[in-house]
Amino acid sequence: MRLSPSRIAAAAACVLLTACTGQTIEPTQDKSDAPAGKGTSIRWLIEEPEDAAALKALKDHVATFEKQSGIKVETTTLPFDTMRTVLQTQLRSGEGPDVFNWGSGPSFGGALIEAGLVADISDAYDKHGWKIYDFAKERVTANGKVYGIPGEMETIGLFYNKDVFTKLGIQEPKSLDDLRAAADKVRASGMVPLAVGNKEGWEGGHLLSMALSSDVGSESVESMFGGEKSWNSPEVVSAFGLWKDFNDKGLLPKSPTSVDYDTSTSLYFSGKAAMIPTGSWLVGEIDDNAKFESGYIPFPAPDGPGIFTGGLGSGPFVSATTKKKDAAIQFLNFLASEDHGRWTVENLHTIPAQPIKAEGLEVSPLFAQVLQDTAKFSEGGDFGHNIDVMVSDAVNKAMYDGMQGVMTGQRTPEAAAAAMEKAAKK
Amino acid sequence: MYYVFVDFDGLDPSPPWVGFSNFTELAADPDVWAAFKNNVIWIVGGTISPLVLGLGLALLVWKLERGSVWYRMAFFLPYVLPPVAIGVVWSWIYEPSRGWLNRALEAVGLGSWTTGWLGNPSTALYAVLGTAIWAAMGFVFVIILAALRNVNADLVDASRLDGANAAQRLRYVILPQIMPVFIMVATLTLIGGFSVFDIIFVMTGGGPAGATDVLGTYAYKSAFQLNRISYGTTLALIITVMAVPFAIVMNRLQRKLSLQGMGA
Repeated sequence: MRLSPSRIAAAAACVLLTACTGQTIEPTQDKSDAPAGKGTSIRWLIEEPEDAAALKALKDHVATFEKQSGIKVETTTLPFDTMRTVLQTQLRSGEGPDVFNWGSGPSFGGALIEAGLVADISDAYDKHGWKIYDFAKERVTANGKVYGIPGEMETIGLFYNKDVFTKLGIQEPKSLDDLRAAADKVRASGMVPLAVGNKEGWEGGHLLSMALSSDVGSESVESMFGGEKSWNSPEVVSAFGLWKDFNDKGLLPKSPTSVDYDTSTSLYFSGKAAMIPTGSWLVGEIDDNAKFESGYIPFPAPDGPGIFTGGLGSGPFVSATTKKKDAAIQFLNFLASEDHGRWTVENLHTIPAQPIKAEGLEVSPLFAQVLQDTAKFSEGGDFGHNIDVMVSDAVNKAMYDGMQGVMTGQRTPEAAAAAMEKAAKK
Repeated sequence: MYYVFVDFDGLDPSPPWVGFSNFTELAADPDVWAAFKNNVIWIVGGTISPLVLGLGLALLVWKLERGSVWYRMAFFLPYVLPPVAIGVVWSWIYEPSRGWLNRALEAVGLGSWTTGWLGNPSTALYAVLGTAIWAAMGFVFVIILAALRNVNADLVDASRLDGANAAQRLRYVILPQIMPVFIMVATLTLIGGFSVFDIIFVMTGGGPAGATDVLGTYAYKSAFQLNRISYGTTLALIITVMAVPFAIVMNRLQRKLSLQGMGA
């Protein structure tokens, strides 16, 4: 099976067309009194990084752009949830950021594009020749116009503690049965098999995404985004049921809905849990915090090794109401450069959605593997889908509540899948 | 008021007029009723418990000469802490594997009682409510203690000489003298029960799967997570409409008692 960007774009457009019918506001032309360059100041809003050191490093790195261009970049941050609630309001008021980093899915950047809150930057692509992967560029394209630079690429899979596996004589799981057998062995040793926290809810979306994608492949999941196939299908029920079964058998921490993401990661870093199903964004923290070697594999399928779930993180967009579009585009040109891409790989452990030469990169073996895995994105390899960036907020809520519900016994897997379909139909 | 009659998603500057659709949908929404039920539990438990505990503590400290300031500070401190900080710290206490509560239960041989307090739908609401009671108790304590300072001690001594036991002295002598203040505190805690949001949002986010959602958190989710600003606004309006009569009744009761000469 092949990653099919056109299908993704079609699905995204479908959701967008049904979700948004609002009037658009006309993008403002650059009315800045100050020409782009010396003396211009722009505001860049990004999601709050989990690591304060990463933010400082980023600001220091942006200072090189400021020095070179004479454009002052005021970097501001907001927690993800807060940003989700205030970004639209800020942009609509005209007092928002000039440049903002946001997700590229239908319920993220897509909704803002449809509302006319994002500037068309197709000309900038032509002028500067940014080498963004086509499949990623399609995620920020609407009505033939390009509106942003897709964010970093991520995969979601299963990290495991190699030392524990060696000590317990466990081989790398090549199927779901292997994973169950490995988890049983780990549990018998007194450790937590899978460090799963699902207190916040969003983690449940990743759990469902990886189990479903590995089971049915990317095309089948894509057909659910487009509505050709129902969320209320045996495969989705089975994916919910898998995590219920793991929880019932004691393969997850006690009461995973009481465990937040940070606690789940610390269980893994501290060696109290042997595996953690999560995304490649954790590699940096694993390198920094874990005193053991980690392996990283796709979440196994019932009949084989499965596939990585892939996705795109947040990337920069330009506000439609900015009066400093030229300066904003200059800044985007810096963010889209290969130099900046290499810097993010080495310093933030994120992978830009463009070709990056691996020679001379100083990265850990684990991150080098992730780089190799994500490079297959552009080669048409089969990657599963992170559901939550591709569906509406209502479907996401049903999915998050559904996964929490099956873990606590509030819902059956059948009811959780049915709720997702009901939300998709609204 | 305009937004409850339209269907505003936060983006569309000209939202369609839907009349009373938001109200009819709200009435038929099972999640609203589940959240309302949690509000009722919160209003009852979150009003009665801090009042009883705060009054009890105030009576214990009332006649203390030494250490009175320290006690007042210690019991009032939780009330002045930010709800977010309280929520975060108590979330650590309730954490299933490393939290103090489960560890304490295991230490005293009650390991079978341990659970994921905030992740178990049977205990989550009560765990958050317990935290809220702990935080509100100090406020009730300080206000009631201040009122007790003005209670006529001669009347209390006289009733003791007449053979009244502690419960009778509280009911017939002390409470009537502090009743207006008591009603004022009850009003504030009661209204807080309608509008509760922050501590639940921080500790559980309304989860697991809506088990701790109250009308406030459900309104927030509808408005800002599902972009149904109008539906969230309608819920917020309902919360206000429900709270106002209680506030008016309690306020009138307090005035009536004051005019009757009750109070210290």
